[in-house]
Amino acid sequence: MKRKKYLWLSIVSVLCVLVLWELVTDVLRLMPSYMLPSPLEVCKAFAYKVSGGVNPDGASLWTHIATSLKIALGGYLAGVVIGVPLGIAMAWYKKVDLFVKPLFDLLRPIPPLAWIPLMILWFGIGYGAKVVIIFISSMIACVVNSYAGIKQTRQVHIWVAKTFAATNLQILFRVALPTARPMILTGLKTSLGSAWMALVAAELLASTSGLGYMIQMARQMGRADIIVVGMIVIGLIGAALSSLLDLLTSRIGGKKTKRRG
Amino acid sequence: MQRIGKTVWKRLKANRQTLLWIVISFATLLIAWQVASMLSQGRVQIPAPLEVFEAFFRSMTVPIGKNTILEHAGISLWRVLLGFVVASVIGMAIGILMGVSPKAHAVINPLFEFVRPIPPIAWIPLSILWFGLGSSNKIFIIFLASFTYVTINSYEGARNVDPKLIGAARMLGASRRRVFTHVIFPSSVPYIFAGLQIALSVSWAAEVAAEIIYSQNGVGWIITMGMNNGNITQIMVGMIAIGVIGYLLSTLMRVVEGRLCRWNRQET
Amino acid sequence: MDRPVKVKVDHLVKKFDELLVLDDISFSVKQGEFLCIVGPTGCGKTTFLNSLTGLYDITGGSITIDGEPVDLKKHRVAYIFQEYSTMPWLTVEQNVQFALNLKREKAEKAKKQAEKYMELVGLTEFRDYYPDQLSASMLQRVVIARAFATEPELLLMDEPYGQLDTELRYRLENELLNLWRQSGTTVIFITHNIEEAVYLGERILVLSNKPTTIKKEIANRLPMPRDIAAPEFIELRNQVTELIKWW
Repeated sequence: MKRKKYLWLSIVSVLCVLVLWELVTDVLRLMPSYMLPSPLEVCKAFAYKVSGGVNPDGASLWTHIATSLKIALGGYLAGVVIGVPLGIAMAWYKKVDLFVKPLFDLLRPIPPLAWIPLMILWFGIGYGAKVVIIFISSMIACVVNSYAGIKQTRQVHIWVAKTFAATNLQILFRVALPTARPMILTGLKTSLGSAWMALVAAELLASTSGLGYMIQMARQMGRADIIVVGMIVIGLIGAALSSLLDLLTSRIGGKKTKRRG
Repeated sequence: MQRIGKTVWKRLKANRQTLLWIVISFATLLIAWQVASMLSQGRVQIPAPLEVFEAFFRSMTVPIGKNTILEHAGISLWRVLLGFVVASVIGMAIGILMGVSPKAHAVINPLFEFVRPIPPIAWIPLSILWFGLGSSNKIFIIFLASFTYVTINSYEGARNVDPKLIGAARMLGASRRRVFTHVIFPSSVPYIFAGLQIALSVSWAAEVAAEIIYSQNGVGWIITMGMNNGNITQIMVGMIAIGVIGYLLSTLMRVVEGRLCRWNRQET
Repeated sequence: MDRPVKVKVDHLVKKFDELLVLDDISFSVKQGEFLCIVGPTGCGKTTFLNSLTGLYDITGGSITIDGEPVDLKKHRVAYIFQEYSTMPWLTVEQNVQFALNLKREKAEKAKKQAEKYMELVGLTEFRDYYPDQLSASMLQRVVIARAFATEPELLLMDEPYGQLDTELRYRLENELLNLWRQSGTTVIFITHNIEEAVYLGERILVLSNKPTTIKKEIANRLPMPRDIAAPEFIELRNQVTELIKWW
């Protein structure tokens, strides 16, 4: 609560930056508007785009958002559905671990974004390539976190279940998974972030619609105001998705997540 | 003595199992790859593994574009190094400042929070407008990518210094500056290092992404060129180079961390 | 004293690699008996219990319950560990029901059992608490309720009260004796605390160290409840202490 004391400082700081930005652009003209648009220009462009304007990139903001979200969520869900069980299976079954881990370790140093050109050649610049890239990006975080989570299971908890005659599957579901749940949720969140980033990268490189495409087009036409609008929207949606996920998982977790405090 | 011999033997036997499985899984991958390459045709082309490895080693002496692959790697690494070092220095300074002074935190944090949700890669178009098409726009992207992690971790590190330690040092008559150099900074080091570690791997990913999206050289350029020419072998060569460098960078950071933060080893 | 033999340990040997931990241990426990095993710290007491429940494979000899090899599916065994072993993600009530759910008891019965044993150890009003909101002694009560709720034929306890202060320990020990008398279960209780062993056990096995063997078996016929200040108690305690003397 000590932080509250300096709330005025925070407000002043944000205002200062805005004023400085306005000074540099509209008032003193130190930066040309094709490089740094003024806050007012950004607001205007934002209003134009939000109200359905299709220039200069040929589609309204809403169309771009819809395209991006569809691809991002599709790839992300696939990554979660495959990544979480894979991580769990690797951590729980020695054989799976021994077989999959070397391959995983082999491929992991390659950043998911580096797969983009290959996927584009294989699947074209439509949905396919992008969904695969996002799938790879989000799967990795899911596997890593689920794996680490299961490995945190305490020996004594396993022993308790064992002496009460639990089967291996019972131990997995009633002991290891509850232990791993917070880590798995972290994985879901991390991978959502990487999915969103991968989407932007893929759309910057090759696409015909979507937010990444919008800012790429704007660059080619020297429309910095649209670029900034796009960046803000990308940031906002990323933040919104992440809070949405928080909300969903806290519902599932209920008060049980709170107790860790 | 005999017992030690036996345990070593046991270890070896356990490791032999792991080793065996590594061989099995790599073999499966190579065979699957080979089979896929034999079956592939039309648009979905998959070059055979041997072809790719051969091309990889050839590219060390025979240039792709204007440079050999080693030169491309050097160019990419140089950019990463510049962006990373600048970001680390500034990030540590700002992070520690925020951790030590609530006022600084109040001023800087909101700005930081506004910028943070935007993925560094989304800055690429603006960065190109600002810095042109050369190296500097990539260095800027790398800077953005690693700056966040270094700052947050330095902040956490400085904020979580045990107040008792600071109190004790003050009581022993240490000046503010000495408290900083002898207490706050050393005890933040493990946090900072964790930040640097993530930052470096994120930097590498950002560099690769920036190069893929627009560049005239570097390992990312190799794979984009491969894409533009429909040369999958070249793409895979580039990806191998990217993977090897990524691996080396993360190993390097782990080794350095092991040296510097030995006192802080908590878990293995 | 002509109760049938419940557990029979026959020439038990356990090695970790080349390290001999348990060396030729033989003894038996009668139905409904309260057996205490004392020995110096680090003498392989835990290894013994873990071998008994099959958590560790044994190197030689045999362990039987009712004349059959130990089978956790058939024999209702409960094991109370030295470490805190409540599940942090479950409430007190869910923790007490944990084993019953594993054994696929009907929800109704599990609830009733949990109810009964929470009542017996005085946890009813804490049923919705999570373990990290409870004190050390309450955590051990949860674990004890969880074990008794399964109505075990054999209860193994590995220094369950090692981390509690003296007063709480006495209270929990008395609670345990009550539960034992009511349920008629067979108990093997391991401790390094001699007073605790003399207070609880009908019979005391004194172990020696490295490798572990049985040094002596002492019958404890003092009537319960025992008075730790009574001369007979002190005499018996001194007798056991003489045998151990690890300092």
